[in-house]
Amino acid sequence: MSVLSLKGVTYQYEGTKKNVLKNINAEFEAGKVYTIIGKSGSGKSTMLSLIAGLDKCKDGTILYNDADLKTIDRDVYRAKNIGVIFQAYNLITNATAVENIVLSMEISNSSVKNKTDFAYELLEKVGINRETANRRVLKLSGGEQQRVGIARALSHHPDIIIADEPTGNLDRDTEAEILKIFTSLAHDEGKCVIIVTHSKKVTLIADTIIGISNGKITVFKENTKN
Amino acid sequence: MYILKNAFRNVLRNGGRNLLIGAIILAVIVTSVIALMISNTASGIIDDYKSRFGSQVQLKPNMDKVRKEAQEKSTNGLMRIATPTIPSDQYIAFGESDYLQKSEYTASTGVNNDKITAIAADKGGGSGMMMAGNIGGSSGNKPTQFMMSLRGNQFTDFTEGTRKLAQGKMPSKKNEAIVSTDLAEANKIRIGDKLSLQGEVKNSEKGTTAATSYEVTVVGTYYDATEEYAEGAMENAYTNRRNEILTTYETVIQQLKPNMDGGIRINATYYLKEPGMLDAFAKELYAKGLDEKFDVATDEESYNKIVGPVEGLKGISVTFMIVVLIFGGIIIVLLSSMAIRERKYEIGVLRAMGMKKWKVALGLWSEMLIITSLCLVFGLGIGSAAAQPITDTLLAQQIESAELEAEEQAQQNSGGMMMGPISMSNSASSAEPLRNLDISLGSDTALQIIGIALLLASIAGLISISRITKYEPIKILMERN
Ligand SMILES: Nc1ncnc2c1ncn2[C@@H]1O[C@H](COP(=O)(O)OP(=O)(O)OP(=O)(O)O)[C@@H](O)[C@H]1O
Ligand SMILES: [Mg+2]
Repeated sequence: MSVLSLKGVTYQYEGTKKNVLKNINAEFEAGKVYTIIGKSGSGKSTMLSLIAGLDKCKDGTILYNDADLKTIDRDVYRAKNIGVIFQAYNLITNATAVENIVLSMEISNSSVKNKTDFAYELLEKVGINRETANRRVLKLSGGEQQRVGIARALSHHPDIIIADEPTGNLDRDTEAEILKIFTSLAHDEGKCVIIVTHSKKVTLIADTIIGISNGKITVFKENTKN
Repeated sequence: MYILKNAFRNVLRNGGRNLLIGAIILAVIVTSVIALMISNTASGIIDDYKSRFGSQVQLKPNMDKVRKEAQEKSTNGLMRIATPTIPSDQYIAFGESDYLQKSEYTASTGVNNDKITAIAADKGGGSGMMMAGNIGGSSGNKPTQFMMSLRGNQFTDFTEGTRKLAQGKMPSKKNEAIVSTDLAEANKIRIGDKLSLQGEVKNSEKGTTAATSYEVTVVGTYYDATEEYAEGAMENAYTNRRNEILTTYETVIQQLKPNMDGGIRINATYYLKEPGMLDAFAKELYAKGLDEKFDVATDEESYNKIVGPVEGLKGISVTFMIVVLIFGGIIIVLLSSMAIRERKYEIGVLRAMGMKKWKVALGLWSEMLIITSLCLVFGLGIGSAAAQPITDTLLAQQIESAELEAEEQAQQNSGGMMMGPISMSNSASSAEPLRNLDISLGSDTALQIIGIALLLASIAGLISISRITKYEPIKILMERN
C-alpha cells in the first residue's frame, strides 16, 4: 500500500500562467527509495514542496495514508510525518546545529527524554562532531549545513523523508555515508525515501527512478530487486 | 515550554536589535513610572484637599453686592460702605443643620483694663468693629475704643506654628486665658493672675449699648511670631495682635445679651457631611435669614493656591506620559515590524518544520515580554529614583508660575481695591501652596506600569501575529531560494 499517492496533481505558481506540474499521478510506498531526476526548472522542487505539505495543489489530490493533505492539519503532518531536506538547507541560521535539531524535536513533540544527547548522536551519524554541532549554523560550511539539514529531517522519525539534492555539496565519502543512511532508513526501518538528484550515484540506490520533464513524469526504472 | 526557552535564547542571540527595542521600551517605562507616580500621588492629595475644602463652608460678604447697595443708597454722592454682619444668634442657628457634620465657632470682642498698658498704646484704641464705619458721613457719638481683644477659640496660629505656648497651658475651661509674652512682660502678668476685662455689646439698629465684664484667670503665656498688624488693617492697640487675650469660645459668649447683636463677633466654620450638599445648605441658610449680601462658599481660593501647582504638575505628567506612550508605541510598532521582516526567513523555517502559527507568534510575543520584563525591572528602579527630584523641580516651576500669575492679577486688581479694611474679610487667601510632594511607588502605580508594559509587549506581539498570518512558509522559503 502506498503511504503517499499523487492523483492528477496540477500546479501553477501564483501570478504565472504556465503549469509547472501537469496532471501527475504517482504512488510512493514505504520501505523504498525513490529518486526524482530532471532538468533544472523541470518542477522537482515544486513537487517536493507539495508532498511536504508546504503548499496545496490547485488541481488533483495528494493522499497521505489515504488522507487528503488538503484536509488534514498540515502543520502536524510536517512536524511528525514527513522529514524535509531542503535544497537551500533552511536552518535557523543564528542557532547552533544542535539547537536546530532539538527545536525540530520539540516542535514534533518528540518523546525522546534527553533531546540534546540524541541530537548530538544524530549529528555524529551524519558526520558532525560535537564541536561543530555547537557552532552557529551561520558559521558552518555548505556541506556541514546540508548534513545538519539531514539530521534535522531524521530527528523526529518521520514515515516519509524527502530530500532535495541532499548530497550536492558533499564529498564522495560523506555522500556514500549519507546514501547508506538513506538506504537503511528505507530498507531496514521501512521509511519512504524520496530524493531529488542530478547525481548518478544517488540514482543507483533507488528502487524507483522518476523522471520529470515538462511537468510530466515518467517512471524510468522499476527496481524489482526487493 | 520550549517556546519560552527558545524565546530566551533568541533574546540573547539577537542582542543588537533587542537592545534597541529594549532602550525604547525602557524609555517609555521610565517616563510612565515617573508620570504615574507623580499623577497618582498628586491625585491622592487633590482628592484629600478637595474633600477637605469642599466641605469647609465659609460665609463671606459679596463685595460686589455690598458696593452696589451702597451706590443705590448714596444720596449726596458719598458712599457709605458698611460690611454686612451676621448676628451672633444667626451663626449659632445656622450650625443646627442636617447637612453639617460639625461647626466650629470662634468669638471675639474688644476689651479694656485700666491697669494694663497695651502694646502700642500710644497708637490709641480701636472700635470693636472690623469695618470702616463711616466714610464721609458722621453718625453721632464715637464708638467705644478698646485697647485689647478677648478671643475665643482662635488658636489656628498655634497649629500654623506662628504662635507657641511659652509657659503654662492652653485655656481649656471657661474663664481660662493666655496672654502674649510681650503683654505679660510689659505688665508683669503672671500665671494665676486674675484679669478683669470690660467690654460692651450693642444693638446696631438702635445704637444702644450695654457693658460687659469678664473675669479670666491667666493660665499661660504664648510667644507670638505673627505680624503685629494684619496687612492693610488700621494700626492701633486694638488691632495689634500682641494684645490678643486668648480664651475659650464659651468664655466670650457668656456675655451675649438678648437683642444685642453687636459687640461680640462670632464666626463659624461649617463642615458639610459631603461637598455636594453646599447648594442645599446655602438655600437653608438664606431661608433662615442670612443676608443676601453673603455668599455661602467653600474656600476655593485657598484650595487653588494650595493644590493648584500640584494639579498643574499632574496635568503635565499625564500629558507627557500620553505623548511618550503614543510616540513610543509608534516606534515600537515600526521597530517590531522591521524586526519581523528581518526574521521572515526564520519564521518560514519554523513553519516549514511544522510549528503552528500561534506558537510562532507566542514565541515572538514571549521575546517581547522578556525584553519588556527586563525593562520593567530597570524602569521601575530608574523611574522611582528619578521621580522625586523631577517632581521637586517641576513642582517648584509650577509654584513659581502660579505666584507670578497671582502677582500679575494682584497688580491688575490693585486699582479698584480702595476700600481699606473692608477688603480684609475678602483678602487674598493666606494659604501656602504645597511645596513638597512625597512621591512613592504604590502598588496601584506598580500595577498600572505592569499593565502599560504588557500593553507595549502586546502591541509588538500583535504586529508579529498579524504579519505571521500573512506569511506562507513556502513563499518565504521560495523568496529566499
Ligand atoms: N515562486 C515561484 N514563482 C513562480 N515560478 C516559480 C517559482 N518557483 C519556481 N518557479 C518556476 O517553476 C519551475 C519549476 O521550478 P522548480 O524549483 O520546481 O525546479 P527544479 O526542478 O527544482 O529545478 P532545480 O533543479 O534547478 O532545482 C521553474 O520554471 C521555475 O522558474
Ligand atoms: Mg530544485
